[in-house]
Amino acid sequence: MQKYFDVSYLWGTIPQLIPFLKVTFMVAGLSVLFGTILGFILALMKLGTSKIAKKTANSYTTIIRCTPSIVLLFLVYYGLPAIVGNFGTDLNTLHTAVFVVITFSLQFGALMSEVMRTAYEAIDRGQFEAAVSVGLSPAQAFRRIVLPQAFVVALPNFGNSFLELMKEGSLAYTIGLVDIMGKASLIISNNYNSHSLEIYLGLSLIYWILSILIEQFFSRLEKIFSKGKQVIKTT
Amino acid sequence: MSVGLDYQFLVKTFFIALSGVPTALIITIVSLLIALPLGFLLALSRINQIPVISQLARVYVSFVRGTPVIVQIFIIFTSVPLLLKPVFEEYHVQTNIYDINPIWYAFIVFSLNTTAILIEVFRSAISTVSKGQLEAAYSVGLNNVQAFRRIIIPQTLVVALPNICTATVNLIKATSLGYALSLREITLRAQVAANVGYNYIEAYIDIFIVYLLLCSLVEYLFKLYEKRLRKYKAVGA
Repeated sequence: MQKYFDVSYLWGTIPQLIPFLKVTFMVAGLSVLFGTILGFILALMKLGTSKIAKKTANSYTTIIRCTPSIVLLFLVYYGLPAIVGNFGTDLNTLHTAVFVVITFSLQFGALMSEVMRTAYEAIDRGQFEAAVSVGLSPAQAFRRIVLPQAFVVALPNFGNSFLELMKEGSLAYTIGLVDIMGKASLIISNNYNSHSLEIYLGLSLIYWILSILIEQFFSRLEKIFSKGKQVIKTT
Repeated sequence: MSVGLDYQFLVKTFFIALSGVPTALIITIVSLLIALPLGFLLALSRINQIPVISQLARVYVSFVRGTPVIVQIFIIFTSVPLLLKPVFEEYHVQTNIYDINPIWYAFIVFSLNTTAILIEVFRSAISTVSKGQLEAAYSVGLNNVQAFRRIIIPQTLVVALPNICTATVNLIKATSLGYALSLREITLRAQVAANVGYNYIEAYIDIFIVYLLLCSLVEYLFKLYEKRLRKYKAVGA
């Protein structure tokens, strides 16, 4: 164990970690893509008339919400090859990133379904009725009137969920994915555990800047899209 | 790869995982006990814009919310011994720093983390209580402490409770990362049991069920409490 705190290690690790940001982004991006699709389906099930579909979607959300990411990650990582193995397919050679994307898509889908449901319910029913009454078809009314408004409502929550996903994604190092977190732990073990504090601080600096940038991006986006929005002015 | 589950192991490990619940709960409760008052006070300092403290709280919240919990755990785990070593040497404390029970690190990490989350929760909750409430309380002769204890805090609590519930559930889930501190809670206990025969799937199913039960129970209790508190809620706007 090294005794002294050496700042040069902190600055030295950041350029080493930056190239691995693309792994972090790729995993997060794919999870967002698949998770949003899953979330959309779940939201449809929750808003639909079928009682069974509603129950299924709600219990899925509860179960995912009560499971720590790391447990879900390991369940997918060990469980999926075992289940598929029964049908004679070998998944053990698959890249770890696939399991990570599956895990976080499952998780993000549950989050997104709630975001979409609340956003849809936030839009006054009268908006849809008014659109239909001026002669739009229900599909048009949904696409042109309800969806753009629901999108604005969902945007801040979407941004928060995305940030959450990116941070939780750091746990992927536990199953051996080399993203920025994985690279940081590799550097530390190459250094025989010395100066690990500086490296972790460098890593946290990257995450911090990244999340501030994403936050800014989403608040800017929100401003652009809520241009036409009319809100009740509260004093 | 074995086909099918080892049910005997599944049942046995379930109780091993269950024996980690007290550890997880102690961490959760201690962290909440530290974080609730601290978060409330810092939220007040943010609202009243007390110089220095307000800015520090803001940076602190931004940092904690912007970095993964696992990185925070590693930072505390590596920095606290470095900081404590000179102190211990100065005062000739005989304890070896590396022998400290990891639960102390867990207390530090999770209370710091939860404080940051709760600052934001309380900040948004306090701002929903109108200023007139406080003024009315003063005008009928309550002092500052009384006004907060009897008027503001109950109303704030009603608004904040669902978010506190989410924070608590997240905290319980986050204790699963205690394995990084080699803390013997739910996850690590089951993992260690699985190491013997590589029964990882069974172990993780057990952990999954334990967390599911634990978090559902906590959510249910919060729902009950919420119902009781609803009487404080102002009717209408």
